[in-house]
Amino acid sequence: MICAGIDAGSRAIKIVLMDTDSRQVIAKGLIDQGVEQDKLASELFEALLKHSDINKKDVAKIVATGYGRNAVSIADTTITEITCQAVGVRQLVPKAMTVIDIGGQDSKLVQLDRTGKVRDFAMNDRCAAGTGRFLEVVAERLGIKLESLGDIAAKSKRPAVISSMCVVFAETEIIGLLTSGTPREDIIAGVQAAIAERVVTMAGRNLELPIIFTGGVAMISGMDLALKCALQKSVTVSPAPQMTGALGAAILASSQLNRRRP
Amino acid sequence: MGKCCDKKKRQIDAPDPCNPPGPQYVSESSAEKEPQNGPLAWFGKMIQNCYEYATEAKAQGKHIVGIMCEYTPRELIMAADAVPVCLCGGSAEMIPTAEEHLPANLCPLIKSTYGYHLQKANPFLEMAELIVAETTCDGKKKMYELMDQTRPMYVLELPQKPADSDAMAHWVSELRKFKTRLENQFGIEITDEKIRQAIRIMNRERALRRELAELMKSDKPPLTGRQLLKFKSSISGISADFEQYAEAIKLLKSQKPHCRRDSQVRVLMTGVPIVHGTERVLDIIESHGGLVVCMDNCTGLKPILEDVDESAQDPVFALAEKYFRLPCSVMTKNDRRLELLREMVAEYRPQCIIELIWQACITYDVESYLVRQLAEKELGIPYLRIETDYSPSDSVRIALRVEALFETIRERTHEQGTPAVLLRKTEAAGGTQRRCSGG
Repeated sequence: MICAGIDAGSRAIKIVLMDTDSRQVIAKGLIDQGVEQDKLASELFEALLKHSDINKKDVAKIVATGYGRNAVSIADTTITEITCQAVGVRQLVPKAMTVIDIGGQDSKLVQLDRTGKVRDFAMNDRCAAGTGRFLEVVAERLGIKLESLGDIAAKSKRPAVISSMCVVFAETEIIGLLTSGTPREDIIAGVQAAIAERVVTMAGRNLELPIIFTGGVAMISGMDLALKCALQKSVTVSPAPQMTGALGAAILASSQLNRRRP
Repeated sequence: MGKCCDKKKRQIDAPDPCNPPGPQYVSESSAEKEPQNGPLAWFGKMIQNCYEYATEAKAQGKHIVGIMCEYTPRELIMAADAVPVCLCGGSAEMIPTAEEHLPANLCPLIKSTYGYHLQKANPFLEMAELIVAETTCDGKKKMYELMDQTRPMYVLELPQKPADSDAMAHWVSELRKFKTRLENQFGIEITDEKIRQAIRIMNRERALRRELAELMKSDKPPLTGRQLLKFKSSISGISADFEQYAEAIKLLKSQKPHCRRDSQVRVLMTGVPIVHGTERVLDIIESHGGLVVCMDNCTGLKPILEDVDESAQDPVFALAEKYFRLPCSVMTKNDRRLELLREMVAEYRPQCIIELIWQACITYDVESYLVRQLAEKELGIPYLRIETDYSPSDSVRIALRVEALFETIRERTHEQGTPAVLLRKTEAAGGTQRRCSGG
């Protein structure tokens, strides 16, 4: 039997196909999020099936997660990304105790118990500051690619202080810094530090190790370093950070299926 | 799972962040078919009932007095042959107008109430000949000064250190001055007997509402939290309401247990009041698998738990005693709130505590740290704090957190079998006085 996990995030849709018995990942795929997310998810799902030569009928259960989880009509059920991220990360890093997930518009912190169950979680409120969207705005404003943020920030000797924790205001603040001649590496380093500080405020400083950093923002160079500095603790970037939510959803789909079997 | 427990998952489209969702978070209560008549239907048109009642009372020469807070003893107003009406605003539409005078970063309840005042849109406020308020939070206190420019306001000074020996004496003297004000304004003598009469009516109302709320202690409660919240009225002491309360108690007690309800996560809601029209977070909780079995806030159990001594020698003193014990977060220290929460957790057996905080409600916001400590460290149940206002733009995010909380709880109960573990913990934690029980 095959199970599928679909993570419909705010910036990308991720799908993992999994063999229910062996828990092996059969295929995984990713597509940018768009207006018709249900259609995009279905198309990606179909494409993955075709690529792996799997018949749709053999997919026994589909779990959707992520911001758009309720819009994925092919899913049998939904589970929040908080639970899915915990399961997904734990699969890849079995000893993980803390998961920091920063995505397009949310940042989440999940604390686990020794068995991997969610013990506590926190996430940002209304505001998108401290999320991937914030970094996108900054990169756009400075006219550089998202991928190169870390390399540029690494050159900073004196990170700028970004006090506005609202994306809109921070953009204004950045314009101010640019006009006053602040080097862009200092601005980027400042922004990354500010995002990391935001996570610390949400998380508190008593996080249990190992801390695993996942979500799309974990792929942006420099962010793990900023988190390390802010938390004063070692932070490890998860393997395949964009896929951990979908992976968790696929695993949970498998366990739900197995649980139901006699 | 039995047939009637099969709950089809409600499909909710993920909304565009720029186009916040409308009222699609339909609560289970409204999804279930509401009766066309009977007590729930009666309280479903509560505002209309109150309007008719107030209009008629006014026609008969009675006075309408607006109140803003549960600290105001309605009994004194009723003893002055006047009708007390709650004026707390629950409409988001009133807020932009209010922000012409008030700062944006202020609690939505204050802004909405003030917006009604500016727009003259609350018929009860327009009918009121006097508006009574207290020095509770800073936001309200200062807003009253603005209202005072065009409306007859009377503000009671509420002492805020309940443990101080002279605090009570001051509060009693405030109530006596208020009594004199009512007598002077309405040209009526408020006798002790009239106050006792009003006390008996209010005690009856509290007892009825308490009995309804206590039905939620059942493993399979006969109501949703949303339905229970409907059983109250902006105007106290309406005898037609009393008949409906009694009828509801009779009906619900004879009803078969609601079998679906024991699969829902039992929730205790605490924090700010949920005034008429602001039930969004409650709806989100109950449409995502939760059942709010108990609310300790001002629109829940807090004001109806204790009665006033009907036979007291000095009825004004008796009123002062009862009302001064209300555990609002404006008090310091507000230990009684935590005490009450301990008791409620023991009696209503919630699996988690969800605290609602209106944005910029500083006192509840700060105090939430203590409530979290109580829940997680002492009672051993999960705690979730939701800070929001009257606009629905964060509904999706709130729903996500609520769902994740319920997933966590289900996972735990799945492992541990029954939530009895939680019960044991709370019993061990604090002496479980049974104040909430018995009407």
